[in-house]
Amino acid sequence: MSGIIGYGVYIPKYRLEQQEAAIPWGSWSPGEKSVCGADEDVVTMAAEAMDNAIRHSGVNPEEIGAIYIGTASSPYIEQYVAPILAETLGLHPGTTMMDYSGSLNSMANAILGCLDAIAAKRIGCGIVIGAENRPTAPGTEGDASLGAGAVAMVIGKEGAIAEIEAVHTYSTLFLDRWHSAKDAWVSNFFDYRFDREYGYQTHIVEACKGLLDELGRAAGEYDYAVFPQLDDRIPGLPAKALGIHSERLAPAISSILGDLGSCSAFISLAGILDRAKPGQRILLASYGSGASNAMSLITRGQISKKRRNLTPLKRYIDRKQYLTYTSYLRIREQLARAPY
Amino acid sequence: MTHPGPASPMFWRFNPEVYRLVGIKCKDCGHISYPRGMICHECGSQNIEEYTLPKRGTIHTFCVNWAPPPQFEPPITPVIVDLEGGGRYLGLMTETATPEDVKVGSKVEMVLRRLTRDRGLNIYGYKFRLTEEQ
Amino acid sequence: MRGKVAVIGVGMIKYGELFDKSLEDMVQEAYSNCLKDVRKGIDPKEIKAAWFGQWSGGFIGQGLQSGNSLASLIGNLDIPVTRLENACATGGDTFRHACLGVASGAYDVALALGAEKMRDKPSAESLGGAGGGGGAEVGIHPAWAIGQGGPAIQAFHATRQMYELGYTMEDYARVAVKNHHNGTLCPYAHYQFEVTVERVLGSYIVCWPLHLLDCCPQTDGAAAAIVCRADLAKRYTDKPVYVLGSNTGIDHCQLWDRKSFVEQQSTIRAARGAFEMAGIKPADVDFAELHDCFTNTELLNIEDVGFCGKGKAAKMLQDGEFDMHSRLPINPSGGLKAHGHPIAATGLGQIFELVMQLREEAEKRQVKLKNGIGLQHNVGGPAFGVSAVNILSRSM
Repeated sequence: MSGIIGYGVYIPKYRLEQQEAAIPWGSWSPGEKSVCGADEDVVTMAAEAMDNAIRHSGVNPEEIGAIYIGTASSPYIEQYVAPILAETLGLHPGTTMMDYSGSLNSMANAILGCLDAIAAKRIGCGIVIGAENRPTAPGTEGDASLGAGAVAMVIGKEGAIAEIEAVHTYSTLFLDRWHSAKDAWVSNFFDYRFDREYGYQTHIVEACKGLLDELGRAAGEYDYAVFPQLDDRIPGLPAKALGIHSERLAPAISSILGDLGSCSAFISLAGILDRAKPGQRILLASYGSGASNAMSLITRGQISKKRRNLTPLKRYIDRKQYLTYTSYLRIREQLARAPY
Repeated sequence: MTHPGPASPMFWRFNPEVYRLVGIKCKDCGHISYPRGMICHECGSQNIEEYTLPKRGTIHTFCVNWAPPPQFEPPITPVIVDLEGGGRYLGLMTETATPEDVKVGSKVEMVLRRLTRDRGLNIYGYKFRLTEEQ
Repeated sequence: MRGKVAVIGVGMIKYGELFDKSLEDMVQEAYSNCLKDVRKGIDPKEIKAAWFGQWSGGFIGQGLQSGNSLASLIGNLDIPVTRLENACATGGDTFRHACLGVASGAYDVALALGAEKMRDKPSAESLGGAGGGGGAEVGIHPAWAIGQGGPAIQAFHATRQMYELGYTMEDYARVAVKNHHNGTLCPYAHYQFEVTVERVLGSYIVCWPLHLLDCCPQTDGAAAAIVCRADLAKRYTDKPVYVLGSNTGIDHCQLWDRKSFVEQQSTIRAARGAFEMAGIKPADVDFAELHDCFTNTELLNIEDVGFCGKGKAAKMLQDGEFDMHSRLPINPSGGLKAHGHPIAATGLGQIFELVMQLREEAEKRQVKLKNGIGLQHNVGGPAFGVSAVNILSRSM
């Protein structure tokens, strides 16, 4: 069975208090979010998460048969990011290098692709890196809530700290939030209530139900449940529908890091793996653009053994420097000097 | 005046150096030359082997530039770093809250950052960040 | 070289921000002044070869390229003319080539002229263009080009001089005080005002630890020299000045290859070779024009040329040992700091100063001569790895 051999995260150190962004536009929200520095982006964040994951996993880069990037905020529409990261590792040209993009389900799909490649015996080991730095615009919900971060997972058959038992997907055509190629920002939710119940909740619940049926397991058997955190409270909706006690949910991070997009569930997963014991069951579901991938994981003995090479999520959460809204706008190049 | 951009052969040739810090070490005089070449910069010997620059070190000297080239927001802090195990590298500091955080002898590590952009393409390279332990 | 070459005429224009003069105007004016300076007269056609120092034509897009741009301007198309660039050492190196042309026996009379137009662009653009730009324009990957501009490289040295030698920002400021004072006595200097240590340290920080007044200005200017066979010199002037040694010294072009940031090997090599050629020692020199593009650089230069031990120059400066009327005046013209730094012209402007001093025609800034020997020095370029040193004397 394949599993996560090692993982790593990266969160930029800059923070914006959400009310700093909201107040100029008349509303107020609590919490804060992480912000990329002026010289950071999806590629640079992915690089550090990847280095952390490789160190934690103990894998030799030469063994990596594939590198997948999952993001909804690549700097490019046509030009992959994966080869840039492959270059820093010196991966040979026979390595599969590809980006999964265009949805907040991208990282989950990248993991699925990696698992499929291993199951097909095309590769023995792969690395999946998710990174998110979605564009924002003043006055939108995202300006206050969209955060930045990255997480990388080395996936393979030997030395797993957490095995991935199965993946089940559920997808429909559903429009809740979007980022068109012609826009420089992610839209607001069209209708938050409709979107969270018929979008987020429904797809996650259906994916999880399908997974549990397939495995013949009950939700109550899981020690942890991990869902994407668009905000702190939304994971409670699918949890309730599935009969999962809210205590099993991953700790809230969106009120300190913001909505981390396609990385959200996996960064939460990293936080849980940072302290999980062997033999614990984790139910995880991603969600983005009308698609959800549900995964069932079980931790193994290696998880304790490898912990000394780990850079935990908490280290990155604790490292912070606050920005004013003006410096935030300048970093995002939305407050630019006239050229002459 | 047009100049080679990120999609040019010049940038492509330098990929191993820029992304993996590949240089050479002279087997005769021990000098580390970077980027890679056939000949030792110091003594002219061709008795060389490939050498990857380490990513951690201490600051040998620095300055704080308040009048950088137009594409950079001032101040920028260029540093020359003595790398752990041999070699030196020149780069900008990143994530310094104030210029006063940077001193001769500060411990630093290389991190990948976007240096600049040209004609729609990002140019990545290494900058230095103060390590948590000093 | 010693005994083979003499300087029979020098010419320059007043340096400054010369908005109403083009590069071509400056070239012609400096050349014309140089011809007039040959006291017994010279027919321009007697010049048999020329070297044209020009830096910015390649780098900041406001200069001239190729030798024939000079030939047209001086109306002499019958001779070989080469355009020469060697960073901040262009002026001194252009002079060296004219001397080599004569010393080789190929030409009896040769011309060296350097000119620079820096102020057709705003200072910040010229400064940024003086290295430290994006990088790709000069074939360097941006990852390695950042921080390679003049102020940043000298600031790296200034930081290290403070750390290793205990130098202070006040020490650096004192160089500006001395040179600005000297500049007020020189009619050709770009700046002719005094400064105090407080004013220097109060000026805004360009590149810590260097302030605005620690930096030489962006200057327009031109200077020229005519050299000839030493045994023919008296035909042209009663006060020839002889070339004892002329050398260019090199060091690595990448900062990370350099060993030390409290000395510049390019200067050390250039000076050592020039002294060897001349058969003299640093203590034999009466005065020197050293390349103080930044105040801390003057201290490096004094030590690297060999006038005192490493780490000693600051105290000696403070004690007045390099003032105009001391035993070893440094930069009586005001140096680059006050006199200006029109890059390719600078070395030749320093030659002009040496010749005026050695002829005892330097008026209010005349230094005392004992041996009648002066030394000119430039240093610059990528990683400050190019240096020129010329040693002149009033006797063969």
